[in-house]
Amino acid sequence: MFEFAFNSFYEAIYMNGHGIYVWSVLAIVCLSLLVFFTLYSSKIKQIKKKLNEPN
Amino acid sequence: MKIIRLEFLKLKKKTRTWLGPVLVFWLMMIAYPLTVEFLQEKLEVGFFSVLWIAILISMMLATEDIFLEDFNDGTLEQIMIKTSSFSTLVSVKILTYWIFVGIPISILSFIFSFGTTEDLALSLMIFPLSIISSYIFLNLFVMGNALSLNKGSVLGALVTMPLALPVLIVLGKSIIAIQLSINYLGFIFLLLGCLSIIIVTVPLVVSYIIKAHLE
Amino acid sequence: MIKKFIHQFASPKTYLFQVNKFYNYIFFISVFIYISSITWGLLFTPEDFVQGNSFRIIYLHVPASFISQSLYAAMAVSSIVYLVWRVKLAAYLVIAIAPIGAMTTFIALISGSIWGIPTWGTWWQWDARITSTLILFIMYLGLISFHNSFSNYEKADKLLSWLVIVGAVNIPIIKKSVDWWSTLHQSASITLTNKPSIDPSMLYPLIGSIIGFFGLILCLVLLSSKNQILIREKTKSWIKDYV
Repeated sequence: MFEFAFNSFYEAIYMNGHGIYVWSVLAIVCLSLLVFFTLYSSKIKQIKKKLNEPN
Repeated sequence: MKIIRLEFLKLKKKTRTWLGPVLVFWLMMIAYPLTVEFLQEKLEVGFFSVLWIAILISMMLATEDIFLEDFNDGTLEQIMIKTSSFSTLVSVKILTYWIFVGIPISILSFIFSFGTTEDLALSLMIFPLSIISSYIFLNLFVMGNALSLNKGSVLGALVTMPLALPVLIVLGKSIIAIQLSINYLGFIFLLLGCLSIIIVTVPLVVSYIIKAHLE
Repeated sequence: MIKKFIHQFASPKTYLFQVNKFYNYIFFISVFIYISSITWGLLFTPEDFVQGNSFRIIYLHVPASFISQSLYAAMAVSSIVYLVWRVKLAAYLVIAIAPIGAMTTFIALISGSIWGIPTWGTWWQWDARITSTLILFIMYLGLISFHNSFSNYEKADKLLSWLVIVGAVNIPIIKKSVDWWSTLHQSASITLTNKPSIDPSMLYPLIGSIIGFFGLILCLVLLSSKNQILIREKTKSWIKDYV
């Protein structure tokens, strides 16, 4: 069950021509998650900063 | 009965509200053959898609200011205080709009369908479909317009149009059913089923939405 | 009793403190589960006999697709809680979930389109499930723009909740569309009632990726709701102490 499905690193990247589809989807998922996490974290920081400012 | 007569008279006076969407529908149906001139012999290929979309847009236009005037002059507030069943009023309003806009558009659908396909049986089958679908669309857009009461009809259409799309899919499939002579009645009953649920729930939801606006 | 429970544990203040307490645990566990499941799925599962290596997109597409629908259901439940019990936190959650729902639906659509190129030979098809997912995406965007068009938050919350409940009709249609209409899309591989039609060596990483992705999305929802609470409760005295 835990056997590496490919013979080499290059084969894992290429995936018989399907690598471009698989890795691009992975990139989109990771990028979307990263953007949203960064966006909300920075928004929270900004609000906290504003609330901390003396009136 | 009194509410029906009152709403009937009110809408009858507002010629632009009921005649406008009917005329727009008419123009859209005229525009279709003009835009596909090179396909004059195969007009029926895309006709039904245009027909359903034209009905959808006409219903959207018809309900554009269904509550706006009453909201601005305070009539809605008064009705809310006086009338125990606000949802009945909403149902009556929708019914009146359907009589003034939905039925004429359905008749026009039959005429244009017959004119384009020259198939009387098919056009007769289109009539009940447009009658039912126009009522469904009216209900949906009334809800949308209640939601965006004083924010413009585009917002209401934007949020309720996705709900109308499954109905469009069913309408498209029903045309295939008519052409292949299979299960036409099944689609009619499916639409009637949707309508019976919508007819009960939409007035209730709309009355709650308007209450939320007035609170 | 439900009312008492909800009001006790769903005050924005309690919620915010609980979020801060558990957020890091949920985040790191989810990241670990997601990365290990994705690595397992992309590199260690055997190649599919029919689809070849492109089937590996399942580990990215299915979690997004599943969660995009679940998030709408969560919004519908929150809307009911808000309208019935007037719990403010539920209203904050509804609007906090909407952008994240839009993002997951976007991922589901894009990943599905990319998966379609090697599998179906086309990136888009007006098929029932794809169209319904696109409708869901437009609905999420519609809900966000609807809420933003009101300056009165309370009115916006109420109207949005009604809209979400009505829109929830769309979810079973999406679920059942594959069975109702002819489609290119395959039926679900995992259901609650039937035995999975997928081999265990491919199934376990899939379950892992769903759990991991769910955890990450939960973290995003927690962050987004925290953001909402800070904006909406900024005048409250406890917020000053919290900050």
